[in-house]
Amino acid sequence: MKRFVDSLKTHYQTPLTILSFFLCWQAAVMMFGVREFILPAPLTAIFRLLIPQPAANYHWLVHIKATLIEVFLSFAVTAVVGIFIAILISWSKRIRDLLLPFFVFVNSLPIIAVAPIFLLWMGYGIATNVLIAFLVSFFPIVINTATGLGEVEEDLLDLVRYLKASQWQIFVKIRFPNALPYIFSGLKISSTMCVVGAIVGEFLASDKGLGYIIINSQFSLDTPAIFAALIVVSLIGFMLFGLVSLAESLLMPWFDPGKEKM
Amino acid sequence: MKEQADIRGSGTLWVFMQKIFRLLKAHYHKPLLVIALLALWQLGVMLFQVKEYIIPSPLSVLARIFVPEMAAKYHWLKHIYATFVEIFFGFAITAFLGVFLAILISWSRFLRGIITPLLTFFNSIPKIAMAPLFILWFGYGIIPNILIAFLIAFFPVVINTVTGLNAVEEELLELVRYMNARKWQVFLKIRLPNSLPYIFSGLKISTTLCVVGAIVGEFIASTKGLGFLLKDSQAAIDTPPMFAGLLLISVLGLGLFGIISLCSRALMPWQKAE
Repeated sequence: MKRFVDSLKTHYQTPLTILSFFLCWQAAVMMFGVREFILPAPLTAIFRLLIPQPAANYHWLVHIKATLIEVFLSFAVTAVVGIFIAILISWSKRIRDLLLPFFVFVNSLPIIAVAPIFLLWMGYGIATNVLIAFLVSFFPIVINTATGLGEVEEDLLDLVRYLKASQWQIFVKIRFPNALPYIFSGLKISSTMCVVGAIVGEFLASDKGLGYIIINSQFSLDTPAIFAALIVVSLIGFMLFGLVSLAESLLMPWFDPGKEKM
Repeated sequence: MKEQADIRGSGTLWVFMQKIFRLLKAHYHKPLLVIALLALWQLGVMLFQVKEYIIPSPLSVLARIFVPEMAAKYHWLKHIYATFVEIFFGFAITAFLGVFLAILISWSRFLRGIITPLLTFFNSIPKIAMAPLFILWFGYGIIPNILIAFLIAFFPVVINTVTGLNAVEEELLELVRYMNARKWQVFLKIRLPNSLPYIFSGLKISTTLCVVGAIVGEFIASTKGLGFLLKDSQAAIDTPPMFAGLLLISVLGLGLFGIISLCSRALMPWQKAE
C-alpha cells in the first residue's frame, strides 16, 4: 500500500496534465462555440459512445468486438510465430547471420503498403485484417528475439560447454531466459503495430470494426463518432500493452525496466 | 600503363576504389541472395504457370515500369511525384518541428512538465487511426497526407532528441559550470553535439513512418500517389502494377533513409557506421 502511494506521489503529474489538457479542450470548444463536425468536445464524443443515438445507430458492440478479435488474434499469432521463427533461425549461428540482416532490412520498409495485395488475394473480412496486422507486427518480434538469443556472454557459454551442456540445455537454461527482456520489448512494439495493422485493414475495406466506423463517419461528417472510435481504439491498444507489461512483470520479477530511473 | 600510374598517383581515388572493393568483398552475398530469390520466384511462376493477377513474375512487374508502352497507362511519374512531395515535406516538417520542440522541452523545466506527459500519451495511441480526421478537415489532396505523415513520424524524433539532449555526463556539465559557461554555450558546445546520434536514430525511424503515413493517407482518399495507384489497381484486379508500386515505395523510403545515413556520417565522422 505504501508503495502504491509512493508511486502515486511521483507520477501524479502525468495524469493531471493529461486531464487538464482535455478540460482545456472542453472549455475551448464550449467557449468559442466550435461546431461539432469540426471539433467536438471530449464529452460529446464520450456521450456518442454511451448514449444510444436516435439518428444513427452505430452498434458499437459489434464493431468493438470485430476490432478486438482482429487485434488479439493477430497479436497471438505474431507472438507465437515470431518467437518460433526467431528460435529456428537462431539455432545455427550461420543461418542467423545470413537471415537477420534480411529481416532488419524488410522491417525498415513500409510493410503496410502490401495491404491492398492481401485484400485482392483474400477479399475483405476479419481474416485479411488479422493477416495485415500480423505482417506489420511480425518483424520487430523476430528481430528482438533473435538479438536476445544471440546476446549471451561468451564466458558463460564457455563455462557450460566445459560442463558438457547440450545445445538444448544451453537454450532452455541460458539463451531463452537471457532473451526474455528482448522478447518483451519486441512484444510491446508489436502490440501497438497490431492495432495499426487492424485499423488500416479496416480503412481499406471492411463492413465492420472501429476503422470502418471512422471511415464511415468521415463520409457522413459525424466527427464525434470518429473521436469516440479513437477513444475505444486507444483503449484496446492500452489494454494489450498493459497485458504484455503484466506478463512481463510476472515472468521476470527480477527485471524492472523503470527501476534504474528512480 | 601511364593511366594506371596516374590513378595510383592520385592517391584518394585509389583508396576510394580499394574501399569499395573491400565493401563488395564483405557484403557480396547479400545482393546475391536477393537475386537468387528473385530468380527462384521468376522460375516458380513460369514453371507452375501462376496466373498474373495472383502472383506476377518479377520480370512482368519490372516491365510495367520500364517498357514504355506498358508503363504509359499508369502515369508513374505523376504518382511518384505526388508521393515524393508528401514524404519530403512530411519529413522536413517532422525534422524541424521535432528537433525544435525537443530543444524547447529540454531548455525550460516548466515546458517539460507540461509537454512531456502529453507527448508520452499521444505517442502511445495509434495515431494512424486519426488519418480520416485530417481528410475531413482539409479535404483530400497532398496537404492532409503531409500532415498524416508528420503526425505519425513526429514523436520518435522529439523523444529521441530530448533523450539525447539530457544524456550528458554530469561531470562534464559541472566542469563547464565551474568555468562559468553560459546556458547557451553548454547547449551549443555540449548538449547539441552529444544529442546528434540520438537525433539521427530518431530521424531514421521517422523516414519509414513518413512513408507509411503518406501511403495510408493516399489509401484513405486521394486521386494520385503510389498509394492511390495500389488501391486503384486492386479494384481493377491488376496485380503487376501493385508489386511495381510496392517496389517504388520501398525505393523512395530507402532513398530517404540513405540520405539521412549520409548526413549522419558527414556530421558525425567520429561515429562508426554499423
